[in-house]
Amino acid sequence: MDGKKTYVYLNGKAIGYITDPAKFVYEVRSARRSGKISGEINVAYSDKLDSININTDRGRIRKPYLIVENGRSRLTPELNERMKKKEINFSYLLRNGIVEYLDAEEEENALVAIDESSITNATTHLEFDLTAIFGLSANLAPYAEHNAIARQAMSVNYMKQSEGLYATNFNQRFDSRTYVLFYPQAPLITTVPYEALDVKRHASGQNLVVALSTYYGYNMADALVINKAAVDRGVGRSMFYKSYTDEERRYPGGQRDRFKVPPATSEGYMGEHAYSKLSEDGIIEPEMAVDEGDVLIGKVAPPRFLEENIGASGLEERMRDDSVVLKPGENGVVDSVLFTETPGATRTVKVRIRSLRVPEKGDKFASRHGQKGVLALLANPEDMPFTESGIVPDILLNPLSIPSRLTFGHLLEEIAGKASALSGSILDGTAFTESGKDRLKKYGEILTQAGFDVHGDETLYDGMTGRPFKAKIFVGVTYYYRLYHMVSNKMQVRSRGKVQILTHQPTEGKARLGALRFGEMERDALVGYGASLLLKERMLDQSDKTAVLICRQCGGMGYYDHIKRIQTCPMCGASALAEVEISYAFKVLLDEIRSMHIMPTVKLKD
Amino acid sequence: MAQNKDKNTIEYGEPVGMLAAQSLGEPGTQMILRAFHFAGIESTIATSGLPRIVELVDARKKPETPITFIYLTGEYKRSVGKAEQTLKKVSEVRMGIVVRRILENFSKGIIKLVLDAQVLKANELTPGQLAQKVAKKLDARTKVDKDGNILVKLKTKKLTEVRSTSVKLMKDVVQGVEGAGKAVLQKDPKTGEFYIIAAGSNIGGIMDIEGVDKSKIYTNDVFAMCRQFGIEAARNTLVRELDTTLREQKINVDKRHLMLIADAMTYSGTIKGVGRHGLSGQKQSVFAKAAYEETVKHLVNAAAFSEVDYMRGVTENILVGKQIPLGTGSVHLAIKKEDMQKVKPKK
Repeated sequence: MDGKKTYVYLNGKAIGYITDPAKFVYEVRSARRSGKISGEINVAYSDKLDSININTDRGRIRKPYLIVENGRSRLTPELNERMKKKEINFSYLLRNGIVEYLDAEEEENALVAIDESSITNATTHLEFDLTAIFGLSANLAPYAEHNAIARQAMSVNYMKQSEGLYATNFNQRFDSRTYVLFYPQAPLITTVPYEALDVKRHASGQNLVVALSTYYGYNMADALVINKAAVDRGVGRSMFYKSYTDEERRYPGGQRDRFKVPPATSEGYMGEHAYSKLSEDGIIEPEMAVDEGDVLIGKVAPPRFLEENIGASGLEERMRDDSVVLKPGENGVVDSVLFTETPGATRTVKVRIRSLRVPEKGDKFASRHGQKGVLALLANPEDMPFTESGIVPDILLNPLSIPSRLTFGHLLEEIAGKASALSGSILDGTAFTESGKDRLKKYGEILTQAGFDVHGDETLYDGMTGRPFKAKIFVGVTYYYRLYHMVSNKMQVRSRGKVQILTHQPTEGKARLGALRFGEMERDALVGYGASLLLKERMLDQSDKTAVLICRQCGGMGYYDHIKRIQTCPMCGASALAEVEISYAFKVLLDEIRSMHIMPTVKLKD
Repeated sequence: MAQNKDKNTIEYGEPVGMLAAQSLGEPGTQMILRAFHFAGIESTIATSGLPRIVELVDARKKPETPITFIYLTGEYKRSVGKAEQTLKKVSEVRMGIVVRRILENFSKGIIKLVLDAQVLKANELTPGQLAQKVAKKLDARTKVDKDGNILVKLKTKKLTEVRSTSVKLMKDVVQGVEGAGKAVLQKDPKTGEFYIIAAGSNIGGIMDIEGVDKSKIYTNDVFAMCRQFGIEAARNTLVRELDTTLREQKINVDKRHLMLIADAMTYSGTIKGVGRHGLSGQKQSVFAKAAYEETVKHLVNAAAFSEVDYMRGVTENILVGKQIPLGTGSVHLAIKKEDMQKVKPKK
């Protein structure tokens, strides 16, 4: 050795140096593979920094690889056979140094072959499968290799937003918001990871007959036309569950909340009608239909501020109403009520509301290829195009959604779905297992055998006239998700309503029944158009208009003295003031400036 | 024609500034952040797209990539030899480019400049010439050794001084105009005439060189144009640069919007950016300034100096809730109260 020092870092801390890094790294790795040291230890040599990093800490992302030695995978055919017979399992491979986990740092030292045929002498590891370039969830969608990667990423996102059977004990659970699809189906086209993870036990979509066709402009720009009869038969139908919780809190001084129908004397009483659905114990009964503004859990709490003279009338009458009310825009049926106690002996109530969500205009759907769409028309089946065999498609998807987005997997799934339905067998769509050409050929054969066109095209007949369309139209079966974004949860209107206390401007957001913001750019548009009065209406009349009295002498703000019935300026005592319309926000600004001992004055002009 | 004139005339009260801002701002959102394009030569790739627009509108003192177009006169634009003569005089060559390595002998106070023979040859320089230049510059004795390297004998032996002289020496211009940057010769494919593109903007220095057409020299450095030709030229440069940058990305903005922006930036005689330190910061109204940026600073100043807001702008009027003095809000009844008596209709 030339005596060159290579420093060794253990979890980032220098612990010493060695002179032969290659040998050192090799020894550590062999020790790990033979089980002498933990398999969670990773070692990496960086030739740029000439340092060795040993990592044993937590939080590293690690991935398993097959070890390759002398150009051959350690997973021999014999071992592979034994694996298949289930004589040995994955941890056997791990224990015996056939598989090892690499972290990001050690991976830099590895040369990984993607399959056995591409192993060279320099190869150190072998990838288990080609699909490993996608993550687990990306591999759940079929034909991932035929889609643009951006679309594949979107597809994974939509999968997260899909409704399905998320848990089989959903009716025992009190999740704060969940959706359960009525008739979840296992997809006709699955992938190996999909089967391996057994996702179909919690399926979250339905196999729908999709025709790539326009329909009177109702499916332009990612809009969808869905067959009304299909929806009536249960397509996309789901149940929305929402849980409300409350507990009897204890306060210092021995006071506590009480579940009960609040007496009319309590502070913030909402009127008899609001509590009409409560039973005697102050909690709503199951199967009671509820609407916005209905009280679900009646509760009284002690007043927020203790007054000095608590008279003989007792605390009870002074109680504050702290009931749980159904939020604006929500309705449904009480599904279940849970009454329990926490370990601290606090009584807790959970009320689960159930509400039916039948697909309606504005609800969102997506296929497994990042192709989302919004339901724009529930078409009557008799008006929709039908095939020679009398099938009316469930969904009409605009053909223009496909070419610009490069989601050929969608087309492939559609044709495969059709083949699957015709042959009565579940087909495999795992990425990289077959070439697209071979797949098309296979599906084409099934289609031709069943008497259909090789490419999946069919003659459609106009439902309104009965005449065949000139063009052949691509019809197939595709797995569709129903996503949990629904208009009924988002829709909100307001003409007049609440304002904020500080600024007197309208509130913002659906939860507060707010208005829509007329923002800076909208303002600019009106200025640019020169519409000065419309602008004033938006910014003042429809917002925070206030009339203030301005003193003509000193420019300060005055008030109307209701006792003397005169206007007064507290600064100079003048009694003839001018009533000026300004925005309340500006008044607040002037007030705040004054609070800092600066006197802003307003000069008036006629 | 009269009709056409009316159609193209902006009416009284039209908010032209807002329109100009929107017309430039909206296409800006569609621009590719850093567009790659390979027109021209490697060394003269100019900043383009949004970064360039931002650079122009902010009135940065130095553009990221200054470029000067030097057109030649008579003889010079026709013959390659003549044009190359001018090119040689323009193109900036620094000592650091010709020197491959510096060896400093601190104990003797000698700097040895190891020259790059290839670069020397390409620039038609000899070690002797360089040695003379260095001697003149540093007022020191220089010598060319047998390998064609330059030895400089300094008067000082102090370590820091030797080092700082050698560092400074590297930045010295040995040939061409300082600040002209590397220049290349170009041939106009249409006319067959030669012109020079330089990656610098010292047009003052370049103009004095023989063969340069003083009336046609152009740089994308707005401030350099302003220094040399005055504010009107700077204004025109701004318009031209904005226009070409937008055109490159196939974005159509009417030139009159750009002209208005350029006018607003230059009307005071100096170039001002549109931001906090430029146009927006010099608004008259306290409220308008406070609504834009640095609210507290403007309010404190207004309070300290007892400023008056005359409520003439847009922002301040929206703030208090008045009709804005633009568009339909710019017209008023121009009749006095007393005069109203006179026009009272008879019973």
